[in-house]
Amino acid sequence: MDASQSNDRNPNPNPRGNNGNSITSSTPVWPTIDGPLGLTEDDSLSYARKFYQFGFALLPFLWAVNCFYFWPVLRHSASFPRIRHYVLGSAVGFAVFTVVLLSWALTFAIGGEHLFGSVWDKLVMYNVAERLGLTGWS
Amino acid sequence: MAQNQRPASILDTLGEEIVRIITPVSICMLMVVILVSILSLDDSSSSSAMPTIATIAYSETGSDSSWDKFMGALLNSLVFVAVVTAVTFILVLLFYLRCTNFLKIYLGFSAFVVLAFMGGEIALFLFEKFSFPIDCVTFLVILYNFAVVGVLAVFISKMAILVTQAYLVVIGMLVAYWFTLLPEWTTWVLLVAMALYDLAAVLLPVGPLRLLVELAISRDEDIPALVYEARPVAHHDSGSRDGVVRRRVWSERRNVLHDSGGDVNSNAILSGNAGSNLNSGVVLSVASGHNDTRLAGAEEGRVVEANAELSAPLIDRRMNDNMHRQEEDGTSENLLLEGIGLGSTGAIKLGLGDFIFYSVLVGRAAMYDFMTVYACYLAIVAGLGVTLMLLAFYQKALPALPVSIMLGVLFYLLTRLLLEVFVVQCSMNLVMF
Repeated sequence: MDASQSNDRNPNPNPRGNNGNSITSSTPVWPTIDGPLGLTEDDSLSYARKFYQFGFALLPFLWAVNCFYFWPVLRHSASFPRIRHYVLGSAVGFAVFTVVLLSWALTFAIGGEHLFGSVWDKLVMYNVAERLGLTGWS
Repeated sequence: MAQNQRPASILDTLGEEIVRIITPVSICMLMVVILVSILSLDDSSSSSAMPTIATIAYSETGSDSSWDKFMGALLNSLVFVAVVTAVTFILVLLFYLRCTNFLKIYLGFSAFVVLAFMGGEIALFLFEKFSFPIDCVTFLVILYNFAVVGVLAVFISKMAILVTQAYLVVIGMLVAYWFTLLPEWTTWVLLVAMALYDLAAVLLPVGPLRLLVELAISRDEDIPALVYEARPVAHHDSGSRDGVVRRRVWSERRNVLHDSGGDVNSNAILSGNAGSNLNSGVVLSVASGHNDTRLAGAEEGRVVEANAELSAPLIDRRMNDNMHRQEEDGTSENLLLEGIGLGSTGAIKLGLGDFIFYSVLVGRAAMYDFMTVYACYLAIVAGLGVTLMLLAFYQKALPALPVSIMLGVLFYLLTRLLLEVFVVQCSMNLVMF
């Protein structure tokens, strides 16, 4: 009776039965940040891979979402070896892209006219919007 | 024997669930109020707004008499409601003819349009207002990222819950902001008209939303729709009922509705795409949870049952069961619409149209003064509470607009006409406040 009770009381059944982890171990069972509401490990692999591949279409935000979604994988990277590869790749890609984009944006914003000359006025967004009449709508 | 924690009171569980649905509604309203107050234009310039379906019959100008404005607004609203009804019936027809793929593509497309174009426009307004020196390359990259990930969040059933919820709130906010650009009288009459339409469409037996829900129930399918689904509250009972967490009375009742292990979930969504790229409609969602089977399955180690847990609002409920006949797997997204119901595990679902119209009401109130904002916010939250109670009582999909909108409009009028005078006089004479 005790065994069945403890079973019932466990809200997180360990799907990775061959892991050999006891219930008291701190290894996370679920690779997603949603825990039991998220994906199983197999689904996670395909999701992580797809996010990683799609991120190459100039979508660093997708990489960031990938890292956020599989945060437990990053934290306990030893227990999800297959997923970890994609999530780490996404993290690296996001970091690189952010550095590049941020440096360009900051150069543009801080440099301003001194650095760019007249091109600055042509590139800045609110002028572009005005030229193309994008905000003339309202 | 381990000591039991004090048993979760009704405040913990029920209160938590209500908070989880009121929080995103409040965030949406707050953001719309902020946007409206930052970007507020004077009435004279906004009255010549872009032609939309909602202003096709009559464009309000500042010089008309009140009666003219009212009649014009009434005409506008009738046209709008007629268009929405027509589109909803088309939706019912398409769903009846099983064109689910088309509906999903349409859903993704409208989400993209809202995020990219409306979101881009509003971002441009903000940048212009603050003279923020962003260049077009960066802007385009960021906008592109934002829009594409948003479409994915809406499309994919198993995206991170937080991301999906955030994007739904953002979509609601953007659409609501655009609605506040309508002329004033038209907005108010439109709100009341949509509340009445919601009531009719959901409760009347001939209403399109009710037809949609019944169709979905009878076929055991999901309707693609944008629906915000709150995260389910985990009840950590002391295992007295072998871990079946949902102690909600109304979840158990659905046993009769579906076959063993099945999870009947139907989300009716209404989608009327008005000319102003708006999705509005009434959503009902009727969901049933069959927690026993789910949990039992989980205990057997069948991981597929884990998917049954309520997560992203766009989850395809059928995925989790042993129902084998779903054609598409996991991508029936819930589109937006108004209406309130229960998710498959008992969590509360609220259609995105409800978010939108609540925020429109509060945004319009913000265009007058913040006092009306506070009054209308309280009225809407109270109305939402009443609707949730009715939901608990009737245990079927209900329209979430009527009570809140009626209370909101009433409080707006009372505040504007009566309370403001009182408060201003008191403040000026340093009596109170």
